[in-house]
Amino acid sequence: MIPTLETKRLILRAPKTEDFEAYAEFMAGDRSKGVGGPMDRAAAWGGFVGDAGQWVLLGYGFWIVEEKSSGKPAGQVGFWHPDHWPEVELGWTMFEGFEGLGYAHEAAQEARKFGYEVKGWGPIISLIVTGNARSVTLAEKLGATFERDWQSPAGHKAMLYRHPAPEALQ
Amino acid sequence: MTSIPTLNTERLVMRAPGPQDFEAYVEFRMSDRAVGVGGPFTRSQAFDHMCELLGHWPMRGFGRWMVADKTTDQPLGIVGLMYPESWPEPEIAWSVFADGEGRGIAYEAAMESRRYAYDVLGWDTVISCIVPENTRSIALAKRMGAVQETSFQHEELGELDIWRHLSREVLQ
Repeated sequence: MIPTLETKRLILRAPKTEDFEAYAEFMAGDRSKGVGGPMDRAAAWGGFVGDAGQWVLLGYGFWIVEEKSSGKPAGQVGFWHPDHWPEVELGWTMFEGFEGLGYAHEAAQEARKFGYEVKGWGPIISLIVTGNARSVTLAEKLGATFERDWQSPAGHKAMLYRHPAPEALQ
Repeated sequence: MTSIPTLNTERLVMRAPGPQDFEAYVEFRMSDRAVGVGGPFTRSQAFDHMCELLGHWPMRGFGRWMVADKTTDQPLGIVGLMYPESWPEPEIAWSVFADGEGRGIAYEAAMESRRYAYDVLGWDTVISCIVPENTRSIALAKRMGAVQETSFQHEELGELDIWRHLSREVLQ
């Protein structure tokens, strides 16, 4: 029930149990600050399994981004919509060793296309933790623009970026 | 993805949890009834937990079912098998919603879960991890024939007693 998408260098596919090691390693590191980390393996397990479960509950979620050349899990890209989120968002994360290759950009474009063409969504958002400059760069590269600040019920501050409308991308 | 099997007991259907169960699940997780499992929680935490509940199935190949009334399909609790990263080994877990209280539902579904673990999954043994103060859960474990073995310190939930269920061999 999780569709598989393909780009030039990547496969966006359903998560597998074996992907957990790469996910846990990322979540244990400082770069996970942008997505609620760092966290230990036990906490990371909840997030990892939960990402798979959101597909069942909502019908969309995060794909594992697999690097075609190595077959390794390189990151996650897809749609996240926790209960307290203002609307569905397009999110991205690159695991250790897969930064700086343009993978997040490549995968996010494909995911956004899926959101617009298959799901029929309008201009989608990305929520970026305040201070996450690399993610802002990518959001802007994707054509998204800053719309407003947003704060989660737990008090976490984020910037809400709005992607171009489907029509604008055609 | 692992498809979630449907099991039937005398009074209950154990089926895949779905979006239709979300509000009943949230109500349970936000209530005092969730104290024995680390709660009560907020609504957004309950959403995360429901996702975890669902995602456990494809990641482990087994999981917990929504236990519902066989006639009305009303969700009455969550019972089944789980094995989070922080657990010593796979366990049988049970939670009963307020509407399912006092009807022996957890017992009926937990027995079916044990049968499934042994007959379908081929496990030899299974445990249940229970907070020492959760006397009702302990009573159920005892009723199933489980014996307390040891305990361990869980980072979030604190001390958890490990109850060892009757083995497959003993039950054969």
